[in-house]
Amino acid sequence: MSKLRAEGLYKVFGRRPDEAVADLEGGADREKLRAEGTTAAVIDASFAVEAGQTFVVMGLSGSGKSTLLRMLNGLLEPTAGRVLFDDDDLTALSPRDLRQVRSHKISMVFQHFALFPHRTVLENAGYGLEVQGIPAEERVKRATEALEMVGLAGWEKSWPDELSGGMQQRVGLARALATDADVLLMDESFSALDPLIRRDMQDQLVQLQKRLKKTIVFITHDLNEAMRLGDRIAVMRDGQIVQIGTAEDILVTPANDYVASFTQDVDRSRVLTAGAIMSDPEEVLGTTADDGTTLRTEQDLLAAAPATVGTDTPIVELFTPCSRSGTAVAVTDGDGVLVGVIARSRLLAALGDGDTGGDGATPPSPGGGDAPESAKKVITGA
Amino acid sequence: MPRLELGDWINSGVNWLRDNLSWLFDFISSVVQGMYDGVNSVLSAPEPLLLAGILAVLAWWLRGLLPAVLAFAGFALIDSIELWGEAMNTLALVLVAGAITIVFAVPLGIWASRNRGVSASIRPVLDFMQTMPAFVYLIPGIFFFGLGVVPGVVATVIFSMPPGVRMTELGIRQVDAELVEAADAFGTHPRRTLLRVQLPLALPTIMAGINQVIMLALSMVVIAGMVGAEGLGSTVFQAISSVDVAMGFEGGIAVVILAMYLDRMTSALNQRVSPLARRALAKERAKALSGSRVLHWRPATSVAMVGVVVLALVAGGMKMFADNDTGPTVSANVGKGQSVNLGYINWDEGVASTFLWKELLEERGFKPKVQSYDVGALWTGMAAGNIDMQTDAWLPATHATYWAKYKDKLENLGSWYDKTSLEVAVPSYVKGVKSLDDLKSKSSTFKDKIIGIEPGAGEMKLMQDKVMPGYGLNKDYQLVKGSTAAMLSQLERSYAKKEPIAVTLWSPHWAYNKYKLTKLKDPKGAFGKGDHIDTIARKGFSKKNPQVAKWMKNFKLSEKQLTSLEAAIQDAGKGKEQQGVRAWLKDNPGIASKLAPVPGGADQKGKDAGAAPKIGYFPWDEDIATTYLWKNILEKRGYKPSIKQYDVGSMFTGMSTGQVDVEFDGWLPVAQKQYWDRYKKNLVDVGSWYDKTSLEIAVPSYVKDVKSLADLKGKSDLFKGKIIGIEPGTGEMKILKSKVLKAYGLDKEYKVSDGSSPAMLAQLERSYAKKEPVAVVLWTPHWAYSKYKLTKLADPQKAFGASNQLHTLANKSFPKKFPEFNGWLKKWHMTEKELASLEQAVQDAGKGNEEEGVQKWIDANPGIVDKMAPVNP
Repeated sequence: MSKLRAEGLYKVFGRRPDEAVADLEGGADREKLRAEGTTAAVIDASFAVEAGQTFVVMGLSGSGKSTLLRMLNGLLEPTAGRVLFDDDDLTALSPRDLRQVRSHKISMVFQHFALFPHRTVLENAGYGLEVQGIPAEERVKRATEALEMVGLAGWEKSWPDELSGGMQQRVGLARALATDADVLLMDESFSALDPLIRRDMQDQLVQLQKRLKKTIVFITHDLNEAMRLGDRIAVMRDGQIVQIGTAEDILVTPANDYVASFTQDVDRSRVLTAGAIMSDPEEVLGTTADDGTTLRTEQDLLAAAPATVGTDTPIVELFTPCSRSGTAVAVTDGDGVLVGVIARSRLLAALGDGDTGGDGATPPSPGGGDAPESAKKVITGA
Repeated sequence: MPRLELGDWINSGVNWLRDNLSWLFDFISSVVQGMYDGVNSVLSAPEPLLLAGILAVLAWWLRGLLPAVLAFAGFALIDSIELWGEAMNTLALVLVAGAITIVFAVPLGIWASRNRGVSASIRPVLDFMQTMPAFVYLIPGIFFFGLGVVPGVVATVIFSMPPGVRMTELGIRQVDAELVEAADAFGTHPRRTLLRVQLPLALPTIMAGINQVIMLALSMVVIAGMVGAEGLGSTVFQAISSVDVAMGFEGGIAVVILAMYLDRMTSALNQRVSPLARRALAKERAKALSGSRVLHWRPATSVAMVGVVVLALVAGGMKMFADNDTGPTVSANVGKGQSVNLGYINWDEGVASTFLWKELLEERGFKPKVQSYDVGALWTGMAAGNIDMQTDAWLPATHATYWAKYKDKLENLGSWYDKTSLEVAVPSYVKGVKSLDDLKSKSSTFKDKIIGIEPGAGEMKLMQDKVMPGYGLNKDYQLVKGSTAAMLSQLERSYAKKEPIAVTLWSPHWAYNKYKLTKLKDPKGAFGKGDHIDTIARKGFSKKNPQVAKWMKNFKLSEKQLTSLEAAIQDAGKGKEQQGVRAWLKDNPGIASKLAPVPGGADQKGKDAGAAPKIGYFPWDEDIATTYLWKNILEKRGYKPSIKQYDVGSMFTGMSTGQVDVEFDGWLPVAQKQYWDRYKKNLVDVGSWYDKTSLEIAVPSYVKDVKSLADLKGKSDLFKGKIIGIEPGTGEMKILKSKVLKAYGLDKEYKVSDGSSPAMLAQLERSYAKKEPVAVVLWTPHWAYSKYKLTKLADPQKAFGASNQLHTLANKSFPKKFPEFNGWLKKWHMTEKELASLEQAVQDAGKGNEEEGVQKWIDANPGIVDKMAPVNP
């Protein structure tokens, strides 16, 4: 059972939205609708988020990702399609029940923090509890705990405008965590922060998530952030989800040129794992190691390899061993059984152009569409 | 282009509204009037300087020490220029108008902020309200709301509403959309989002709007003064219409002081109510240097509250024992407190005759109210029935248009002066101009202009239609339309510079005393015969007040009398017209009784006539009735009694210190024993006048078989197990609960409901009308016994205890100070029937009309006056 599921979501702004949905289902073009004055912000989005997973929706501004997020907690009503929360249809709830869900089950963190300037940090953190009708004493206790969790103990009496951006967003995070909601919606929550602070926040979120195991839907336009945080990533373009998969899927097998162009500037060495680029051990059997021994068996290979790593090791950790030895690095599974090898040449090839398998994916063509161009700009500029 | 009869449509619309929705307007009118009276009486009650102190403490709390000192100085200045009462009237008007405006504007603004359609549709309405000249709806406003404060408040509300609405809408729209979305995302109810997020954050803007509302309201007071709203507006209006720079300036200064105070206070209020501003304030204060801390220190809210309350209590206490001796000398109480509304135009003869009659009517026991109006407002107000009469109608010419328009709703009580004339006047330093004929060749001297007055005035019409054509002036001269005030200030200006000027004028007019002017002769008689000055009353006045109407019909003044009266008023100075009238009456002995003869001759005076006993009373039926009875009788005997209501504690304290001379309602030996014992060394018991008091339970006599308290037992079903009680703290209730019920074994069966005397009586009335059984806690004497047929339940076990007598108690010095009155009181005795019928008469007359009720009772009991207060000739 998925925690949160979207089924064929559409959101159309403008006149006669239902007709527009019918047109879109019939294969009409988004540009054509725009000419008629209607904007299709989200087109036929379907995905499922498992409990405890971090699901990242990535796309450029205007791709419809924020609209999609707001349909998940009912801030926007879908023009068509359903949102299932624990298999309950959110779209069918009365406004009152929907408010109930928002106050207890789904909380949200905003891009510009959205802290109430007329409330102290503590009062802000306890806002959701106040809405729930929790008595003041317990509210203070839980809000204080939430603030401790995000590392803001001692700042309870301060006012939002006295805090730095990063600290403010921690308050926003504490406010969302304090309600004990299962699902956390994060709308470009770190985009407004300095790069360094953004890294800190990402690390903190990863740490928290290890402990709390929330179900998170995270919106970003930054692929690096998506790769760092996301268990699974959905890439959106022009209102449509073009690919859903793990970070490696996206990197290794981009669904199309558009996705591939995104992945260009990603630090592959941190995303790719040994398991993803290793080759069959047979390839090196029979070759000669640096010290002159001939590698005849897997045991010879394991003994001669400069390092032995697991399949989920990021390849960034392979550079040092590979630089010391021309012999391939051994890759073993959890039981210590040799499953593959990575030779120096293979490692370099993996970094080179995304052509990791030697076949399959083609390098993105320069200037092959307007979106990739702007994609590059955004990614490098972020 | 066809002529759209827009004006006519509106006119008939207004008439329709007046005829069909008068109940609504009456309702609004009484609500607004009630609010104003309430606020005004609170503001006017304390000593001026004490209230100034209270306002200064508020300023201290809101802004700091220096503003507080300035505020106090400002208000002290208002008091010293003798405009305190007017300023408080104005403040009350502004506060009431402001409160009403805010009550409407803020919700409207909220609504507009949440709905684009509403926002778009109220915008033109707001533009209309803000820009439509107030005069345009002020005069129709009189039709709907009558003259006085109410149309002033309504006009003020209309004018000051727009910024309140706009700023509220703007403030809410300005709140960051992400914050509203955040509240939404946490499942906040929209109403709560509004109250806890949007409104607090919009508050600074809304408060700025409220500040604007108050300031605009204040700017309307002068205009409100033109329709009879009392206060500084009226002062300023009076000043402009008589070109009295000194008075106008003083009134203006008082307006400015009020404006500055209100502006600074409302803008500072933002710092106290808005959470964001409160924080900014705290930060700023933390930064303040230690040296200037004293100046910046402000009392905390609680401290300020205590200060205000203490001052208010002091004010209240001082007021309680303030001597109430400013009343007029009532020589013969013909009016019995009936009110008569006199309106006047601010012309000298109008002022003189109006204040003359104010004084005369007061002496005859009426309660006249005088108020000055603009000419148009005066006539409209009379036609609408808000003004009873006015003494300054110039007919047939000057006020011809008004008379023609409203004569169906008015009655003419005859003319009292007939030496008037209309004319063109020039300063006497303009040589060679003695007659209208002389003007023709001199147009260049006068720059081709004759300065006129209001275009609607009869004189202007005559000038245009007859005089100017008659003397061939209409080619050479332009008749300048304007206002009387403008004409007079132009005259003043030219006179000071010795420039030639020709103005339309009339006699009598004070301008002839102030300047040397030549009335131009009218050999052709183009102006016609001069007007006579008439007294005009609203229709039906002479029926309601035949005596006053009779006096007015016989009212005549000679030119000498009028000029000497005007001079006396002039000598007394502005605002002291009545003193001037009194001085004039003194110089003309006998004129009062000639102008307002008392029908049937005056009552015999007592030996101590002129003595002024101070009578205190409790707000209890028997005491109200007897106190007003004695007041009436004493006045008939030429005394000048003053009466004042107290509660028990302050009555005894006041009596022991001599602030109260006497009271009639001492319940002894039981009910007020503790007070008597405590103060008796300073008091004297004049005697008991009633000994039939008792406490009891009563049931309507249609309830059969219940004659005694013992009969109640076993009948609780009949009375639904209830005995209707009164105030839970009273002695009777205590005795009933602790002794009586137990003595008759009723405590298990019956519950005594706590309430109040009025509630008990209302319940009795209701049950009586339905013939339902009811048992009520009652006491004798009580008017209920004469109104309903009730059975006093017998108390064979004497559980209610010994009964009281009603004693007349007085300060120790009373017998010496008022020997005659003391003698009357010693012999005074009332029967149960007399007292009950007196209470009933007072009750029937209604609150505020006690004097009429008493007089009716006296009329129904011939000889009672001589019995109670015998005078030996």
